[in-house]
Amino acid sequence: QPLKYKYDSIYKWTWTYNRSPQVLQLISKKRSLSTAAAVLLRGAEKLSKSVAENMENRRQRDFNSELLRLRSQWKLRKVGDKILGDLSYRSAGSLFPHHGTFEVIKNTDIDLDKKVPEDYCPLNVQIPSDLEGSAYIKVSIQKQAPDIGDLGTISLFRRQPKSKAGAQPWHVKLEAAQNVLLCKEIFAQLSREAVQIKSQIPHIVVKNQIISQPFPGLQLSISLCHSSGEKKSQRAAPEKPKADDHLYVLEHNLHQMIREFHKQQLSSVLMPHPATAPFGHKRLRLAGPQAYTKAQISSVQQGQGLLEKIIKQAKHIFLRSRTARTIDSLASRIEDPQIQAHWSNINDVYESSVKVLITSQGYEQICKSIQLQLNIGVEQIRVVHRDGRVVTLSHQEQELQDFLLSQMSQHQVHAVQQLAKVMGWHVLSFSNHVGLGSIESVGNASAVTVASPNGDYAISVRNGPESGCKVLVQFPRNQSKELQKGDVVLDSKWSHLRGPYREVHWSKMEGRNFVYKMELLMAALTPAP
Amino acid sequence: MEAPPVTVMPVTGGTINMMEYLLQGSVLDQALDSLLHRLRGLCDNMEPETFTDHELVYLLKGQQGNPFILRARRSLSHPTAPWHLRYLGQPEVGDKSRHALVRNCVDVATSHSLPEFLNEMGFRMDHEFVANGHIFRKGAMKVVVTKLSRILVPGNTENIERLSLSYLVELSVLAPAGQDTVSEDMRSFAEQLKPLVHLEKIDPSKQRH
Repeated sequence: QPLKYKYDSIYKWTWTYNRSPQVLQLISKKRSLSTAAAVLLRGAEKLSKSVAENMENRRQRDFNSELLRLRSQWKLRKVGDKILGDLSYRSAGSLFPHHGTFEVIKNTDIDLDKKVPEDYCPLNVQIPSDLEGSAYIKVSIQKQAPDIGDLGTISLFRRQPKSKAGAQPWHVKLEAAQNVLLCKEIFAQLSREAVQIKSQIPHIVVKNQIISQPFPGLQLSISLCHSSGEKKSQRAAPEKPKADDHLYVLEHNLHQMIREFHKQQLSSVLMPHPATAPFGHKRLRLAGPQAYTKAQISSVQQGQGLLEKIIKQAKHIFLRSRTARTIDSLASRIEDPQIQAHWSNINDVYESSVKVLITSQGYEQICKSIQLQLNIGVEQIRVVHRDGRVVTLSHQEQELQDFLLSQMSQHQVHAVQQLAKVMGWHVLSFSNHVGLGSIESVGNASAVTVASPNGDYAISVRNGPESGCKVLVQFPRNQSKELQKGDVVLDSKWSHLRGPYREVHWSKMEGRNFVYKMELLMAALTPAP
Repeated sequence: MEAPPVTVMPVTGGTINMMEYLLQGSVLDQALDSLLHRLRGLCDNMEPETFTDHELVYLLKGQQGNPFILRARRSLSHPTAPWHLRYLGQPEVGDKSRHALVRNCVDVATSHSLPEFLNEMGFRMDHEFVANGHIFRKGAMKVVVTKLSRILVPGNTENIERLSLSYLVELSVLAPAGQDTVSEDMRSFAEQLKPLVHLEKIDPSKQRH
């Protein structure tokens, strides 16, 4: 040790020793300060610990309150150290074998130092992997059959439904999973029925698609579209946006029907009385004692499946839309006479009606002869005339079109008849179905003959759906020039005999429509008073 | 009048031979509430239902052998419901490892003239009793908690006296023959009712003597 340090320490010692009172004071002060600081530090430590504990407690409490909220809406049970929930529709009457169990997970190990994310929730749910994502049932009607190779590859997805504001993330997740489960149940039920039901054209079930032929050349396709996880956004993007032929009404009805089916299941499991009697349909137990007939028993057992119902509905929807299209296309193609359709707002799933009026523009008040009520059913259309006659048309488009064409042609002749009354002309003959002349390919031609008020002139109209109209005017004998020569009946008293007919060049007539032209013609042939 | 010969043919109900799988036990009256509470938790969530039934047991005695027994039951709480005629066969011997008693069972719903009909056929009523209690359901399983009462005046179901201070608990399933998974389900359900009630396989033929 160098000498200098040695002396240094001695010097220090002597220095401290000499100034001992102050030094002692200082030391004691320092010590007391440090103890005070230690107390403060310990206090601070305790405080921060308790704050952390509080946070922990609060999160625990948050979890518990979330759990309580979850319990108020979902069925939960405790198995071992896990909390399991049930998202299946079993308690609502579903018979779908999927267990539909979800697990409640405590999500409390979040780093406190970092900022807590906005959507943080202390409770999380783990749903079965096959119920993840979103799903829906796509129902569509297509014209031509696609290649068999295309079947079962439908993978169209809609956007995820936007979550309601304020809903818990677990709730959104569970509801989505429940929807997937319900869609799966519907599809499973439909495909089971598709295989079981015997139909003339067998239903095809390929992967996630069921194909049925409601009408020839037409196919109903029901497919289960299920997107699981995140992959779908990339896969769906390159696909061309196709025309959306999805029938939302049928999708909705499918959901409604499966719920009805559930409800029926629930209500049919009544407790038996007396208690020893077996479970089962209550009315079926009455069948023996009350000697039901075969018809009564089958009415109890009437179990029209989901698929049969949806096919019927699809048929109806298709028939309705095609009827609308037929009427619309006729209305736009043919200007004279006019055709109007009044659709009723309230329809049944299997039946709807439309009122069809055929009128002439400007003469709506006097020409109201054709009013048809079309009741569109599942397989056919019943047409009720104003006078109560009923015509039944099949689902073929051509039948309805031909029928309407023939009605329109009849309307013209009816209009002439009614116009004649207004104009003071006399109807000499009228026939809806003329047996003479060329044969029409659609319906029959109709004809009317009217005479002018003083009987000098007569107008004869023949109108056919295909051949169109032909108008002839008969002149009084004395006005016809060709007959003057060589005519044997020269006496003036014969001048009122009818003369020959001459055809009117109808297309060259002035007037915006048939009835107006007819009015002009009648006016021209009526002598001025 | 001589009784007609009793058939020795096995009794079956139609094309499907149904078997009753049965476990029985009993609870004291005091323990009833806790048992019902437990059952409400375990069974399908339906409104708990009570029943009051009147059962008549008919015998047809032949020249030899055991008499032929039929049970006719009607619901006193639902007078319009059909009567229930039931034939129960002898318990199946055989598989000792099976957890439930298995016996042949034929259920028929009948009209209200069943007693007269049975009398005409030569059956004679052996005994009658009133059973009231609670009925539960879990899937195909039926749980019946019954209080049995003796009828003091024959035919009068109002005038009754309870047989004991306990309730009979029966867990039963109707299933086609040979479905032994049923008894497995029943056993696990019975496990969940312990220690409130011990449901066991009780052979009625051995109890009689």
